[in-house]
Amino acid sequence: MTKRNYLPKLLLILGLFVLLGLEGFFGYRLHELSARQETIKLDHSTINNISYGLLSVDQWRDEVSGIVNRQVKHFKLTPKQKKELQTEVESVLYALINKAEAMVEKKPQSFIGKIRKLAIKTFVKTDKVKAQVPGLARSIIAKADNPNQKNKLSNLAMGKFTQLQHTESIDSTLKANHALFDGMYRKYQVHNKEELNKKLDDLLQEIRVEMYHNCFLMLGCIVLVLGLWWILRKRTELHGTLFILSLLFAFILLAVGLSASMIEVDCRIKTLDFMLLGEHVSFKDQVLFYESKSILGVVEVLVKQPAIDSIAVGILILCFSILFPVMKLSSTGIHLLSKRKLAENRVIKYFAFQSGKWSMADVIVIAVLMTYIGLNGLLDKQLAMLNIRGQDLTLITTNNTALQPGYIIFISFVLYGLILSTILKYITPHDAH
Amino acid sequence: MKYTVLNIIMLVGLSLLLGGAAYSGYRLADVSAEREQVKEDYSLSNSVTFGLFSIDQWRDRITEVLSSQIQDYHITKAQQRDMLIMVEKEMHGLVSKTVAEINKPQKGLGAKLKKLAFNTLVDSAELQAQVKPFAKTIVAKISSPESEKRLKNIAGSKVNQLTSQIYDSVSVANYAVTKYVYKKYKVSDPIAFNNRIDQKLAELKIQLVQYVCIMLGCVLVALLLWFALRKQVHLQTPLFIFALLFAFVMLVTGSLLPVVEVDARIQSLHLALLDGNVEFKNQVLFYQSKSILGIVETLIGQPKPDAILVGVLILLFILVLPLLRLIAKGIYVFSPKKLGRNGVVRYLTFELGKWDMSDVMIVGMLMTYIGLNGILKSQLSSLNIHTESLNVITANGTSLQPGYFIFAGYVLFAALLSYILKRVSPHDAL
Repeated sequence: MTKRNYLPKLLLILGLFVLLGLEGFFGYRLHELSARQETIKLDHSTINNISYGLLSVDQWRDEVSGIVNRQVKHFKLTPKQKKELQTEVESVLYALINKAEAMVEKKPQSFIGKIRKLAIKTFVKTDKVKAQVPGLARSIIAKADNPNQKNKLSNLAMGKFTQLQHTESIDSTLKANHALFDGMYRKYQVHNKEELNKKLDDLLQEIRVEMYHNCFLMLGCIVLVLGLWWILRKRTELHGTLFILSLLFAFILLAVGLSASMIEVDCRIKTLDFMLLGEHVSFKDQVLFYESKSILGVVEVLVKQPAIDSIAVGILILCFSILFPVMKLSSTGIHLLSKRKLAENRVIKYFAFQSGKWSMADVIVIAVLMTYIGLNGLLDKQLAMLNIRGQDLTLITTNNTALQPGYIIFISFVLYGLILSTILKYITPHDAH
Repeated sequence: MKYTVLNIIMLVGLSLLLGGAAYSGYRLADVSAEREQVKEDYSLSNSVTFGLFSIDQWRDRITEVLSSQIQDYHITKAQQRDMLIMVEKEMHGLVSKTVAEINKPQKGLGAKLKKLAFNTLVDSAELQAQVKPFAKTIVAKISSPESEKRLKNIAGSKVNQLTSQIYDSVSVANYAVTKYVYKKYKVSDPIAFNNRIDQKLAELKIQLVQYVCIMLGCVLVALLLWFALRKQVHLQTPLFIFALLFAFVMLVTGSLLPVVEVDARIQSLHLALLDGNVEFKNQVLFYQSKSILGIVETLIGQPKPDAILVGVLILLFILVLPLLRLIAKGIYVFSPKKLGRNGVVRYLTFELGKWDMSDVMIVGMLMTYIGLNGILKSQLSSLNIHTESLNVITANGTSLQPGYFIFAGYVLFAALLSYILKRVSPHDAL
């Protein structure tokens, strides 16, 4: 063998290792970014969570004090109600007068009683007293209805409310909430919730762009490798080396595809908007659930279910995403390198040539899950058909559910694996069928 | 000559079977579409947005409870006794205050005279003794029926006044939706609507089951016929062509019919409130039903490029490629000598099995169904609350739909065809 025969091989190996290094680097970056994105999303979903909004005492305090204020201070009886109340008070007063009259009319026993009766008969005219009843009743009602009295009542109610608020359990939860929010503000160096949300959205956007950059750079590396195959299609002596190195690329794709986030589920109540006793109560973007999941995360969710069939599905996904691909890649390597007897083993051949498409099952599961839970446009669509604006209605939306770079990497891995096994069929020295 | 007659009878019979399968496929598509429409309308009008999540609905229900509470309210004997004690106390206080006021040292002559007269005529102890009958009068007056009625009126109108200040923007939308569905199903009240929907769904379900049975039955009979005639070598080509046509019908029908239906609802929610009962029934949290083609459509219709990519891949590997392979198999069987030698046809027929993912789709859909069902079930069961005051019952109606079974039938059938083709022409494989 002359030196000339080794040179291209050496160059190829060197060049591909550099490319492999690059691919590994991009993959690592993607993995890091994905982990970072996951923590930011967790923070985002924590601070916008429904339990700190719609379900929090803190948020309702202002609303309730407004309501108490308005309803007690500005408590007003309508003329009709006033009239009824007037009749009521009058009837009580009349009854009292009648009673008094009857008591006086009773035959007194003592001398002093007789004098008293005489005096009352002389000085007090029952009809006159009765004529005063409506005025008297009005002033009683007015007394109950005056602003001073209402102020006093409203203060009393507010006092009760504050007292209720400062029970120990509520106080401690409020304290815990404040501590949590302060911690978040410090972490992201902001001062209030609006700023924090803006900052988190910006960060997420930034990370998303960067993730896609890395993702496309990785795919670029793969395209280069496939291009190399095309260029070297006639150089049979280099195929073995090239194939083994291509397998390494596939392993990196697989590792990143498994660990990077694949799907982002965002479930929130868009708006809750109503009038409550004159107060306009409005809650926006109440997050019920906001998470990114890698395929391993999806497996984890499924395996944690109580039902045995869900666990089985989780394990099946795990098989299709880890066991099958690893077996497949190893089998292709073994098939190419080893002796004829091992290479033509049925199991090795099945995994090398036929198993690739089963990893697509994971891709399909995620895609179908997405269409079912994520793109829930049914109600919106139908409301639009009836010309109803959905904005003011209390809808649960999952509109922001989206696929993530990990998914693209995983699909690329599956397709790349299928292409590799097709290539193997052409270059193998053994029988491929 | 004997064979040609048999041939014609067989071909006519197979054509009839094929026609039956195709017709039932067509009817299935129709019936499924109708069923989907009915369920969509139902879940629209019974959506939580218009029920459990609507402040208007809560207000109406709570108002009802309050009004009936006010109407049923009576002042009890015990309350009357309490009231009596209270009024007496007030009046005793009032009397002592008045006496004290008069007995204060007076300045003017008139005032002094008045004080003298009062002290002569009125004995304060006696006055206190008379408090009791007066108090009794007051209480009796207040608890008299007409008085009670008056007070109830005042309280009732106050409640109405308050509730008129509670509202959200659902009513307009709710009205539009209700009008739309009532008109569509020609009903006028919710009970009739629900009955109508139930009845309609039951009818459609029977039809669906019937047509699926007819379709699979036709395919099965054709297969048996083929098996019976497997020795007749010269009949193999038309038989195989027919088999491909059956597979084609199943592929098309299977991809058009819904595969999985997800339906999560709160069947009933009872909340005990002031001896009354606030009740919500049949609240649809979530409903989706999709066919394989629908899934592809949804994905391709997304604004995001990655979703479109996935949609295109699924379309390619699960619908287009199987179709091409069926056609290629047909061409190959029809003229193995001429066109069958064509590289593309042979490649499609024998080699592309690895890229044909309809079998993967069936496994994937089953996995999705089980996974989704499990997650929904556990989520919903955590919503099931049974306490004294609150009672929530949820229902999970996630199920596999006819499309899944027909598509699975297609996959089995296609695998069988590939196997037979490989055995019939072992040397033609690449």
